[in-house]
Amino acid sequence: MSAVSVSGLSKSFGHLHVLKDIHLPIDAGDFTVLLGPSGCGKSTLLNVIAGLEDTDAGIVEIDGTDVTHREPSRRGIAMVFQSYALYPTMSVRKNLSFGLRVRSVPRREVARRVNWAANLLQIDELLDRKPSQLSGGQRQRVAIGRALVQQAKVFLFDEPLSNLDAKLRAEMRVELKRLHKELGATILYVTHDQIEAMTLATRIAVMRDGRIEQYAVPDDVYEAPATLFVASFVGSPAMNFMRGRLVSDAVHVGSAQLPLNGYRFRSSPMDGQEVILGIRPEHVVLAQDGTIEAETLFMEPMGADTLGWFHFGEHRLSARLIPQVARGMSGSVRLQLLADHFSLFDPSTEARL
Amino acid sequence: MTAASRHARIGRIGLYALLVWICLFFSIPLLVVISTSLKTSDEVRTFSIFTLPTAPSIAAWIKAWSSACTGLNCGGVRVGFWNSVRILIPSVIISVLAGSITGYALSHWRLRGANVIMLLLLICAFIPYQVILYPLVKMFSTIGIYSSLPCIIAVHVVFGLPVMSLLFRNFYTGLPEELIKAARIDGAGFWRIFAFVILPMSVNILIVATILQTTGIWNDYLLGLIFAGRDNIPMTVQLNAIATTSTGIIEYNVNTAAALLTALPPLIVYFVSGRYFVRGITAGAVKG
Repeated sequence: MSAVSVSGLSKSFGHLHVLKDIHLPIDAGDFTVLLGPSGCGKSTLLNVIAGLEDTDAGIVEIDGTDVTHREPSRRGIAMVFQSYALYPTMSVRKNLSFGLRVRSVPRREVARRVNWAANLLQIDELLDRKPSQLSGGQRQRVAIGRALVQQAKVFLFDEPLSNLDAKLRAEMRVELKRLHKELGATILYVTHDQIEAMTLATRIAVMRDGRIEQYAVPDDVYEAPATLFVASFVGSPAMNFMRGRLVSDAVHVGSAQLPLNGYRFRSSPMDGQEVILGIRPEHVVLAQDGTIEAETLFMEPMGADTLGWFHFGEHRLSARLIPQVARGMSGSVRLQLLADHFSLFDPSTEARL
Repeated sequence: MTAASRHARIGRIGLYALLVWICLFFSIPLLVVISTSLKTSDEVRTFSIFTLPTAPSIAAWIKAWSSACTGLNCGGVRVGFWNSVRILIPSVIISVLAGSITGYALSHWRLRGANVIMLLLLICAFIPYQVILYPLVKMFSTIGIYSSLPCIIAVHVVFGLPVMSLLFRNFYTGLPEELIKAARIDGAGFWRIFAFVILPMSVNILIVATILQTTGIWNDYLLGLIFAGRDNIPMTVQLNAIATTSTGIIEYNVNTAAALLTALPPLIVYFVSGRYFVRGITAGAVKG
C-alpha cells in the first residue's frame, strides 16, 4: 500500500493551469524528491497534498485514506517550510510543542517528544531561546524538530535548505539523510537543486509546467532521462546535445558517424529519422583513435576535474578531464563518445527514443 | 569667502528665520492660553493678553476641574472627563480588537470577495460623517438606545472600524503566509492562530492603533454631542458649554484652564508613546 497516493490531480489559478493530471504513488519509507525549475508547480503539489490548497480535480490519499477534503491538521502530515515559519514570539520549546498542545496531548507526553526531538537534532541547549536568537542552521533544525514531534505518517519539506549557505546546506543534507535512515519515515521533498535531489532521494519526480516528466530512482533519472528536459535539467555540468540523423545502426552528426553499440530503444525508430543525441561530459573522453576530431576552446578547472570545452562542427562539446591532462591542452584533439551512455531524443516530441 | 558659499549662507539664514517665525506663529496662541490660565480674573481683564501673570496661580485650574459651571451644573470639567473616560475605554478596546480581527481575516484567509469588502471599507473610511448622521440617529432611536453610553460606543466602534481594519490588514499582509500555514498544520484554527500566533506579534501595531483611536475618540466633538446624550456628554462638549455659558462675567482664565485640561490626555499619550508609534509605523511598512 502506498503511503501517499496522488491521482488525477489538477489545479489552476484563474487561467493558469499549475498542475495537470498528476499521478504520483509514493511507497512507505521512500524519500521522494519533487524536482523542477521555479514555477513548475512542485510547491503547489506539495501544498495540495498538505491540504493548504484545494484541488480542482483528483484524489489525494494518505496511508490508504482519502484525505482530499480534509483539513491539513487531520491528514497525518507534518511540514517544514522554506522560511522555517517559526513562531517568533514563542521559545524553541513552545514552538516544538505548539501543535501537540493544540491537540491536547498529555503534558508528560509533550515533554517526552520535545526532548526526544531536541536530542535527535542536537538543539537541547536552545530550547529556551527565541527564534530571533538562533542562526539559520539552528532555525532549520527547530523547524524540522517541529515536524518530528508530530510523529506524522508523512513529512513534507518545501525547499527547506534553500535559505542556508553552501556549507550549512551540505551539512543539513547529511543530517536529513541520517534522519530518514534512523526514522524510516516517508518523506516528500521539494527542491530546485538537482544535487539535493540526487543525494537525498530514493525516487525523484522531475516536474515541468505542471506535469511529471519522469518518476524514477535517481540513477535512472541521471543515466536514462525520459525527456530532453529531464536530460538538460539534471546533471551539472550539463549534458551535451547534438543534432544528428539515424542511419541504420549509427548516428550521423555532421561528417562523423557514431555507432550505437546496441542502444536500447524504447520505441522502434525509423531509419533516417532526425534525432538529438545527448551525452554527459564524463562520457566524452580523450582517445588517440577517437571517432571525432574537435578544436580546443578553453578549460574550466573545477578542482577535482577540469571541464574542457571543444568545438565539434557546429556543436560545442564539454568533457570532464583529469586536471593534469587538461593543463596546457590546445589545438585539435580526438575525442571518443562512449556509446553505452548515449541518450537519444525525438526532436519533435522531446521524448526519449 | 566665495560667492557660492555666501549665497548658501544667506539661504540658511532665511531658512532659519522662516522656521523661527513658523514656530512663533504656532506657539504664541498656546503660550497665551497657558499664561492666561495662570492669571487671576482681574489680571486678565486689566492687562493685555500678552503680559505674563504677575503671581502665577493654579486657582483657575482647580476651579475649572471641580467647580466651573455648565448652565446650572457647577461640577467642573471633571464630570466631562469621567464621561469621556467611560466612552473612551470600551470604544478603544472594541474598535481595536474588531479592526485587528477583520484585518487578520482579510489578509490571511482566502474569503470569497475579500477584495470587495476591502474596497467597501476603504470607501467607508472616506464618507463624510454629516451624510450618515441623520440615518444613524433614526436607526438608534428605532432600536431604543439613542442618547446613551452604548449608543455613543457603538458609533465610535463603527466609525473607527474602516481605518482600523485597513491599518491591521496592511500590517498582517506583511507577515509571512507560511506562519499561518504552519499553524494550520499544527492543528490550530482561525481563533487559536489569531490569539497565539498573530496577536503576540502585533504589539507595535496595537499600540499605534490604540493611540490613533484614543486621540480620535477623545478629541471627538460632533459624535459625542449628537449620540452621547445629556448624561454622558464628553469633555469636549462640556468644554464648549463652559466657554459659551454667559452668566456673569466671562472667566477667561478658567476657560483656558479647562481647555488645557481637555487637551492634556492626548498630549500625554503622544509623549509617552511617541517611540512606539514611530516603531509601529515603520515595522508595518518595512518588514513583517
